[in-house]
Amino acid sequence: MTPFEMVEPASLQEAVSLLDPQEPTIRPVAGGTALMLMMKSGVFQPMRLVCLHGIEPEHSRITLAANGALRIGAMATLRQVEKDANVAARLPVLKRAMRTLSNVRVRNVARVGGALAHGDPHMDLPPVLAALGARVAIAGPKQSREMPLEELYAGYYETVLEKNELITAVTVPALDGRKAAYMKVTSRTADDWPSLGVAVSFGLKNGAIRDPLVVVSAATVKVTRMKNAEAALQNAAPDDPTLRRAGDAAAEEAEILSDSHGSAPYKRELLRVYLRRAVREALAGSAE
Amino acid sequence: MNTARTITFTLNGQQVSTAIEPHRNLVELLQRFDLFGSRESCGQGLCGCCTVLVDDVAVSGCLYFATWVDGKSVTTVEHLDADGALSPVQQAFIDAGAFQCGYCTPGFILMSHQLLKEHPNPSDDDIRHYLSGNLCRCAAYPEIIEAVKLAAKR
Repeated sequence: MTPFEMVEPASLQEAVSLLDPQEPTIRPVAGGTALMLMMKSGVFQPMRLVCLHGIEPEHSRITLAANGALRIGAMATLRQVEKDANVAARLPVLKRAMRTLSNVRVRNVARVGGALAHGDPHMDLPPVLAALGARVAIAGPKQSREMPLEELYAGYYETVLEKNELITAVTVPALDGRKAAYMKVTSRTADDWPSLGVAVSFGLKNGAIRDPLVVVSAATVKVTRMKNAEAALQNAAPDDPTLRRAGDAAAEEAEILSDSHGSAPYKRELLRVYLRRAVREALAGSAE
Repeated sequence: MNTARTITFTLNGQQVSTAIEPHRNLVELLQRFDLFGSRESCGQGLCGCCTVLVDDVAVSGCLYFATWVDGKSVTTVEHLDADGALSPVQQAFIDAGAFQCGYCTPGFILMSHQLLKEHPNPSDDDIRHYLSGNLCRCAAYPEIIEAVKLAAKR
């Protein structure tokens, strides 16, 4: 890695002020597990890193709101999410996703905010949280804002964050009886970067699917809602013909990329099949 | 650019100080103290050869900035027999023959210590998941799983 300066602000406002909206070689670093890979390969050569460890205590808490929503501070480690009792009880899909998300050491160090802000479509957390209807809170120099997580993503490794904005927390609403599942499909080891990620959540009323969210990642340039697949599921009984229609709709609407994890036609076929499996897994409530 | 800063931390029970630049990683820092048990192998956090405990939490030394250990406690594989006897995990690896070339062994041993702290009586599945981020190119995996279970029994 090439030399750079590391600054260590003690407050969120100080951290934001040390970032520069015009300067791409100045970036925040939380756990650094993803950023260091870019630095080692020479893809990113920073002039300055703004280390966020100084603001960790107040921004790493996982708290349960009165309405059942879980607020996860951006500096929480992935391992903290994995071990959190409220996450285990209320969002088991999130805990399960952690098991094959890289490995224990990376989960010990990587932070939730970094995993969301990095914009790498192969990450597991963004599709799972997006399918759970999560919203991100963002702090900037003048004001804070909030948005549905899937709106954070603008393209391949691109987000709508300004260079001097920081994610402060992600809030996940209570499931309230909704079913959810995440299918991670890898072409090598189970904990590898996926060829495809499919996350679903939906309600059930009188045997019919209500208000489904279907989110695809890894095979696409960014975390993407599959609106046609959602329409195919809405108000339908989750039987084989419905699931087939939804899988076909997703395979049709997704813009899929070829990469080292599989060709586009292969991943399209994976999506067709794994969307059905994701809905079935959500219905089954899935043991580990 | 000279951006070196002085850090002070506890290294295997001893307080130490050194000046280091922000672009150095934890493996490079340990090498300055003649500690070579943590080895950078894949350089991507995948293989576990560079495992180090920071405040008793396992990290990949190759993906951890050296300056981040300032004020913290760092434990390497070299410290496990500090009281003169091999740790139960180390002894179990020998007894089960859980290595051939030994390059990955420090990482496996440190991760196995962490695994047994969290799962004192681990199932095969627990072991496989916990150690999935450690690679052994000699493929001593069956013996490694045996060693972890042996250490758990002791």
